[in-house]
Amino acid sequence: MTALPRLPSPHGRLIDRSQPIGFRFDGRDVTGFAGDSLASALLGGGETTLARSFKYRRPRGVLSLSGFDSNVLVQIGPDPNVCADTLPLTPGLPDIESQNRSGSAARDRGAWIGLLKPFLPVGFYYRSFFRPGNVWPRYERIFRARAGLGRVGVTSVHQAKDKRQLFCDVAVVGGGAAGLAAAMEAARAGGKVCLVEALPRLGGAALYGPEAALEQLRPLIREIEAQPSITVLTGAFAQGLYGDYLLAAEAAECFYKIRVKAVVLASGAHEQPIVFRNNDLPGVMLASAARRLIWLYGVKPGTRAVLVTVNDHGLETALQLSDAGVKIEAVADLRGTRSARHDALAERGAAIHLASAVYEATGPGGYFGGPVASVQLARLDDDGAPTPFGPPVACDLVVMAGGYAPAAGLACHRGARLVYDGTIDGFRVENLAEGVSLTGAANNVFNLATETPEQVNHPFPIIPHPLGNDFVDFDEDLTVKDIKYAIADGFAHGELLKRYSTAGMGPSQGRQSALAVLRIAARENDIAPSEMGTTTARPPLRGESFAHLAGPCFHPHQRTPMHRRHLALGAQMMPAGHWHRPAFYGGPGERESAIAAEAAAVRSAAGLIDVSTLGKIEIFGPDAARFLDAVYVTTHGGQPVGRVRYALRCDGGGSIVDDGVVCRLAPEHFYLTTTTGQATATHRHMLWLKAQWRMDIEISAVTGAYAALNIAGPVSREILGKLATDIDFSSDGFPYMTVRMGTLGGIRVRAIRVGFVGELGFELHVPALYGEALWDRLLEAGQTHGIKPFGVEAQRLLRLEKGHAIIGQDTDGLTTPQEANMAWTLPKKPREFWGRAAVQARAKAKPERLLIGFRLTDASAPVPPECCLIIEDGEIAGRVTSAAASATCGGVIGMAFVSAALAEPGKAFSIKLPAGGFISAQIAPTPFYDPDQERQTL
Amino acid sequence: MKQMTCPLNGLRNIDEFIYGGPLKPIPTADAPAQAWANYTFGEDNAEGRVFEWWLHTPSSFWFIAERDTVSDEVIRTMAFADLQATASVDP
Amino acid sequence: MPLALLRYGLSRKHKPWRLIPPTPELQTSYDVVIIGGGGHGLAAAYYLAKLHGIKNVAVFEKGYLGGGNTARNTTIIRSNYLTPEGVKFYDESMKLFRGLSTELGINLMYSERGHLTLAHTDEAVRTMRWRAEVNKHMGVRSELVGVEEIAKLCPQLNLSRDVRLPILAALYHPPGAIARHDAVAWGYAHQAAKLGVEIHQQTKVTGLRIENNRVEGVITSRGAVKAGNVLQAVAGHSSLVAALAKIKLPIRTVPLQACVSEPLKPFLDKIIVSASLHAYVSQSARGELVMGGATDPYPLYSTRSTLEFMETLMPDLLELFPFLGPVRVLRQWAGLADMTPDFSPVMGLTPVKNYFIDAGWGTWGFKATPIAGKIMAEAVANGVQPELIAKFGLERFDRFDQVGERGAASVGH
Repeated sequence: MTALPRLPSPHGRLIDRSQPIGFRFDGRDVTGFAGDSLASALLGGGETTLARSFKYRRPRGVLSLSGFDSNVLVQIGPDPNVCADTLPLTPGLPDIESQNRSGSAARDRGAWIGLLKPFLPVGFYYRSFFRPGNVWPRYERIFRARAGLGRVGVTSVHQAKDKRQLFCDVAVVGGGAAGLAAAMEAARAGGKVCLVEALPRLGGAALYGPEAALEQLRPLIREIEAQPSITVLTGAFAQGLYGDYLLAAEAAECFYKIRVKAVVLASGAHEQPIVFRNNDLPGVMLASAARRLIWLYGVKPGTRAVLVTVNDHGLETALQLSDAGVKIEAVADLRGTRSARHDALAERGAAIHLASAVYEATGPGGYFGGPVASVQLARLDDDGAPTPFGPPVACDLVVMAGGYAPAAGLACHRGARLVYDGTIDGFRVENLAEGVSLTGAANNVFNLATETPEQVNHPFPIIPHPLGNDFVDFDEDLTVKDIKYAIADGFAHGELLKRYSTAGMGPSQGRQSALAVLRIAARENDIAPSEMGTTTARPPLRGESFAHLAGPCFHPHQRTPMHRRHLALGAQMMPAGHWHRPAFYGGPGERESAIAAEAAAVRSAAGLIDVSTLGKIEIFGPDAARFLDAVYVTTHGGQPVGRVRYALRCDGGGSIVDDGVVCRLAPEHFYLTTTTGQATATHRHMLWLKAQWRMDIEISAVTGAYAALNIAGPVSREILGKLATDIDFSSDGFPYMTVRMGTLGGIRVRAIRVGFVGELGFELHVPALYGEALWDRLLEAGQTHGIKPFGVEAQRLLRLEKGHAIIGQDTDGLTTPQEANMAWTLPKKPREFWGRAAVQARAKAKPERLLIGFRLTDASAPVPPECCLIIEDGEIAGRVTSAAASATCGGVIGMAFVSAALAEPGKAFSIKLPAGGFISAQIAPTPFYDPDQERQTL
Repeated sequence: MKQMTCPLNGLRNIDEFIYGGPLKPIPTADAPAQAWANYTFGEDNAEGRVFEWWLHTPSSFWFIAERDTVSDEVIRTMAFADLQATASVDP
Repeated sequence: MPLALLRYGLSRKHKPWRLIPPTPELQTSYDVVIIGGGGHGLAAAYYLAKLHGIKNVAVFEKGYLGGGNTARNTTIIRSNYLTPEGVKFYDESMKLFRGLSTELGINLMYSERGHLTLAHTDEAVRTMRWRAEVNKHMGVRSELVGVEEIAKLCPQLNLSRDVRLPILAALYHPPGAIARHDAVAWGYAHQAAKLGVEIHQQTKVTGLRIENNRVEGVITSRGAVKAGNVLQAVAGHSSLVAALAKIKLPIRTVPLQACVSEPLKPFLDKIIVSASLHAYVSQSARGELVMGGATDPYPLYSTRSTLEFMETLMPDLLELFPFLGPVRVLRQWAGLADMTPDFSPVMGLTPVKNYFIDAGWGTWGFKATPIAGKIMAEAVANGVQPELIAKFGLERFDRFDQVGERGAASVGH
């Protein structure tokens, strides 16, 4: 199909007639021009029916052309619900399809549902479909298949969008006459200004009006575009105004976050439809939409038009349409006074009817329905009651000018409210937040020159029809009756009315329905419209894409200094918070054998593990020892210099939250470790306590500053001996639970002798930059000794053999030291520590559960997965916290919480497997391995 | 996004900060368990102006903010020491 | 087509279906005053009248009916909790929910979709297994499922290993459901009113007259009344109302935000929750995606929307469903969550003799609506703490005796 001829310049200001662009809509070829929106291109190509409505599958076309209707949402490839109003026509668009229809928008085989309308009153789905008993799910499937608009392409790939941050003094939203003036004024006052305009060009409503007004604006536009202190964002839609003046705006490929000090809303007003029967037919559109079509895109919206209006803007529109060659057949003005504009239209052959309205529009009939073909007019009496008169007027365009509602949603995001003002028969914005102001039509000022209020609204531009189809909410297919019945059902409050009727819940968020709903509701409730509350407006102003909100999706990762080495060694990495840690070294299929080999190396020779993810904190100062005593359950005040002690921390509720070791490096200098997961929390907690207690200490988090390696195993001392060192690593010179500082292989090191895995072992903390070097040197030195790197999994097994609990695995969020068998950590002499009162209070009650070690009775039984339950007499009597097959211990060992009654040495109990069935276990003393603790103290 | 003034670092986006709970006096060591239970769990959870602990995470600085829990406004922020020096507040 | 609609369509006149009664005049005295006209309060009123014969009941709602958290939640209903007491309680609620449309005579659109809680870490896998095992033991359908099974249950999920947090397993809870939240409040209101309960909208309780540790009178914005017993059920404002009775609660009130997308043709049956990614999503009968994430980071009595909520939620959601990029958010809103330290409610008797509390519902209150109403009605009628909520009493905090849900703190909903 070739493009239909467009109107000559100055019509079609946005299109480039030299660049035709072809595309397909519902299987037909359409041609538009560069600069067209998809909707204008479709109308220009003669496609008037763009979609089917949500509930009754009625044919729908362009209503506002401003990006706020659900009547123009289309499917573009995998992208659902694309607004044809605002989508720029570009070459290479995938095939475009209308939505919510079987066949095409013009010929929807599913249109039969409209016949059921009389049977489907407002809220009908609440009244039925649930008896008998479980029948709703069956109905729901039917409803769901019909509900929804577009279809998501579940296989399409995510396209990331950019985010940009801007900072300025004043943001002006709206590039029309009012916005331009405000921007210039702010710039002249020395402000840095950001001007946000949704259309691709500045000019606002003047862009879709006669040349004179635009000509007047052009110097200002040029000045603003040249003004360095004004940033102009065109094609950007302001979506939300958030706390402390953060304005969010969405452009095609970018999401703007604009931090400002003040916001001027020059965002105009939303023109309102007039309610009459079949006011939703394609070809029935707002006056502003008709003006947009001719001026922006040069598209003639029809050949024979009827205007129904409540204000002079409608008459102006009719004159402009007439100038563009549209025959104005009739004008129905709800007002009763004749003016010069009426005369001008009469001169051009329009029949002028005052105190009149459209009573009913009629389409072509037939199963599929279609665009408007004629209208029946009616005269309104003093109460607004209609009396049809005259023969139907044939037409292919009905232009509605039903008044305006301020486009002040952004102000409402900051607490302003729309209130109905009886003096202007429309909404006014109240309770503006400081720093937010309104200008122009958003402030109900339509003539900037005079600033005199112009009566643009009508108290009740609603002509109900006994046969219905007088649509109030186009998105949700709600008619006058639906609103009335909802109120009769008891949903009188504005919010309840919205929830029950779903008025305003569709894609246009009530922009073309809120006023009408309020007027009808007030009448039904027998109160003044100003007494009806309005519903709260929330961001975004219109559909905002997930991709824009998500932005480039950056996420932090933390890697230890030895990360590359792990990868080179074929480690399977696992997440630990933001960290990545080697689970084991080997292919995914080698898990069991790799873990066993790593564990065996530690027990028989030596192993090396990267423990850099441990939290590391330094504490200096005169109060350091006192401070640690106040933080930890364990006692560190009397801890000698050079000694290492286990450290256990509880929260205020007396539950274990963290553990680690505390090394006293000097009388006023401690170095301590935390679990990987609690590194940040412990540091912050300490800082907070320090701030409260105002102790004379300094706290430094040095987790990332140090790499930490643990070399463990009977030959680890020999391996260390091969590196040059000034530290005496001998048994006497460096006993268990002590710390030494010196150099090792030329690297400054803090060596801590601990035994988490139960072998002779040293934790070596070196500046992060040297971690890789030390790792390499130790592996090289240990090569002939059979050293192996080992991962988290082998470490879990080894420590389990030693009966060491992992905080967070063998304990949960409510475990007390008593329950975890760590009562030994409590101070011998009464001392205040964080959580002391809670620990004591909870210790008074005998623990209900205890952490114990167990062995499976049957050697051939499977390893019970962690968190299996222990069942006694049909009741839950505990759960497995750790379990593993241990070659060293000759069977499956584990740790479990069991009820106090069960917690006796040698007692047997049953573990329930997830798949069903039980296995027997027996309480066993810990450590399972080397109970005399000889190996770690070698 | 809201902003908050760190007494040490000035005005920053609020996602640089962490809420640390209401300001409430820690019981003395000899206080009964009940007092500690109240301290640990009991919350005024008041409407309107409250004094709270906040942490500026990049600088690890804990301070006090006076905030309105209805209007979502940060009224002022100060170091704990400065708060203690002010007589107008009895946390 | 169901008979009721057929009859309606063929009749000439709209017979109003008076679901919500108009607010009557205040009487001088009520046997029970319920503060809060949300789901919980209305349910309690209904069960007081229905099961205990106590019909001289007034419900005071400061705004409009069900306009608090009843209107603002994401309607997920499940019972796959961690502790036996939690599982038992929420399972009772689900049992009531299943028959509730019929009982209340309104379609609550209770839809069992199946609920998948995704685990992305070893720790999460362990916790999910723990929950599954406790659930199964309590007779609740729940299972830890692996990636192959997840792929069958929800083939749209991104199960690639090559993402920030790969999905390792999931807790699958087949009875997990969604429902039409507003209708729950309307249905209870409708039936309670039929039994004689008075529902007073736009009636704010401003004070309590307490003598000898008993509430004698309730002062409202429309006048004062005498009350035999008083129940507060005002999620989001619990601390403020309890303060009228001089009761301090272990609650911090924080906003919980949520959002919906434009309507889409159905592609997602299951309810998907990811604790590690702080995101959850389901698709409503209308076709909208209903989405939420973590609670706001600080306490607030305001339901304002923030951009950072969306900016944090969306990357996580797109990691689960990368194809949702072009889909649009239509509406964002917030409710107020009364968070307790142990992620469990505060229910039952209080230090004030005839004052009962139903609070601490955090982010999990909607699913408890029927059982909370029923059990609070029992508590009020009998004046003793019912066995089912023995562990949820306020005094547990005096003993530092928190409920074990704390043991596996994660995004609940």
